[in-house]
Amino acid sequence: MTDGANDEFEALQARVRELEERLESRASEETFRLVVETAPYGMVVADASGSIVLCNPQAERMFGYTTEQLLAARIEDLVPPRFRSAHPRLRQTFHEDPVHRPMGAGRDLLACRRNGSEFPIEIALTPLPRSEGLLVLATIVDITSRKRGEEELLRYSRRLEQSNAELESFASIASHDLQEPLRKIRMMGERLAGLCEAELGEQGRDYLDRMIRAGDNMHRLVRDLLEFSRVGMRQQSFRLLPLGTALGEALAALELLIEETGAEIRAGELPSAEVEETQMVQLFQNLVGNALKFRREGVSPIVEVRGSVETGATGERVRIEVADNGIGFDPRYGERIFQIFQRLHGKGKYGGTGIGLAICKKIVDNHEGRIQASAEPGEGSVFVVDLPLRKRRQFDTDSDPK
Amino acid sequence: MNRECILMMADDDPDDREFVREAFEESGFRGEFRYVDDGAALLDYLALARDSGRRGAHPIPDLILLDLNMPRIDGHEALKRIKSDERLRRIPIVVLSTTESQTDVERTYDEGVNSFITKPASFAELVEMAKRLKIYWLELVKLPGETAAR
Ligand SMILES: Nc1ncnc2c1ncn2[C@@H]1O[C@H](COP(=O)(O)OP(=O)(O)OP(=O)(O)O)[C@@H](O)[C@H]1O
Ligand SMILES: [Mg+2]
Repeated sequence: MTDGANDEFEALQARVRELEERLESRASEETFRLVVETAPYGMVVADASGSIVLCNPQAERMFGYTTEQLLAARIEDLVPPRFRSAHPRLRQTFHEDPVHRPMGAGRDLLACRRNGSEFPIEIALTPLPRSEGLLVLATIVDITSRKRGEEELLRYSRRLEQSNAELESFASIASHDLQEPLRKIRMMGERLAGLCEAELGEQGRDYLDRMIRAGDNMHRLVRDLLEFSRVGMRQQSFRLLPLGTALGEALAALELLIEETGAEIRAGELPSAEVEETQMVQLFQNLVGNALKFRREGVSPIVEVRGSVETGATGERVRIEVADNGIGFDPRYGERIFQIFQRLHGKGKYGGTGIGLAICKKIVDNHEGRIQASAEPGEGSVFVVDLPLRKRRQFDTDSDPK
Repeated sequence: MNRECILMMADDDPDDREFVREAFEESGFRGEFRYVDDGAALLDYLALARDSGRRGAHPIPDLILLDLNMPRIDGHEALKRIKSDERLRRIPIVVLSTTESQTDVERTYDEGVNSFITKPASFAELVEMAKRLKIYWLELVKLPGETAAR
């Protein structure tokens, strides 16, 4: 081969390589175009001066432009007028340090349509280095509906909170004011019985007694309603507490009843949990109190309190069981007994208004836990409380991430 | 009790005033029972009493029974004003209220009340309360101020 031929061959090879590269880059350009065009987001590519050099149909639709109009526009045209003057500086900053900025929560911006209307967007920026200079790809998502959803949710939860608070203060005011007339009915009744005994006669006295008793009964109902409405109203402080301590306090309060009934309390090792102490004491007091009250005649009560920790999908949970050997109940009513003033056993034999378990339920709800009962008539009852070991923070993102 | 004791009750509820008066009568209280309808009337009375002393139409009371929930000036406000008046602050004040809220109790003590009693729910208990109040505040306790007159 001559030198000339050799040169020619090399030149040809170089040309082929060049053509191959051009073809390859054409192909990758094509791929890129395809991706941009079919992406489910609005995509806009702009050059260093802010001129739009490429856009996809989604962006056109989102901003209300035709392709030609958008290609003739600048990025600033897509920004609400009041932010326009500051925007070139922001672009400048990006150009100085061009790294990919993913879509992130907390960086929602406003965009402006051709007709001037604004809408919230989330945006990601990707630098595209080209021989002609740096291009920037902006990927844009319209988050109007998401925002609306969030706002609605927020509004809804605020309304719910407010109506809850109103309901609670209503119950507390109403029951306080209801006490007043009751107290008087009772006092007048007593005065009548004392001062006019002779005139009343036996039957009159009987009616009066029953009237006073009905008044007393209502007094108790109203008092219990008041107590129920107050659960969680007071200043609450949740802290990690050995539940055995709360049980101990509850048992101390029940000491007399335990002695009277000759009950045996078998308290197992209880775990600690982040709880509100006074409420936990009340929970144990109500559950153990019931276990003692609804005992079988002639059988001395045995109350067993067990605790354990379980790790589940929602983190560590504490499980507490209060089991007794008492009269039990029909499992059909396992849910109903947690409603206020619901009782299964006759008033004559077992006192009470039916508030205890309703309060337990409210306390457990307040701890974001669950309470359930299982029983058989004559076979005793088991009440199971299940609580998160740690209280869930109101805004988890803000609390330390431990 | 040498001289006639004066018991002042501030309560807007006429039934309650009557119950308390009867309960004190039954307890053996032989002094004078006076009452006003609300905190404002109590303060008006005490303003006159402060300036006229023991004698006259507005004698300084030996004990004030104060309701909390009253129109115009409520018990809390009346209590604060009495306890911040040099010449009235020594009058013992017992709040007689239906509230059982612990915060209310604490607040009332902070305002300077001498004792806080939840209104009893039966007449018999009310008589018992009157007896104890009479013995404690009108007989047993030595109070500052009007010692010469006692
Ligand atoms: N350990 C138990 N054994 C059998 N029955 C029970 C037990 N605990 C509760 N119950 C049933 O559930 C009903 C509701 O219980 P709850 O504690 O709410 O009310 P109560 O004990 O009747 O009255 P209160 O608690 O107001 O004094 C009871 O009346 C009883 O019929
Ligand atoms: Mg109960």
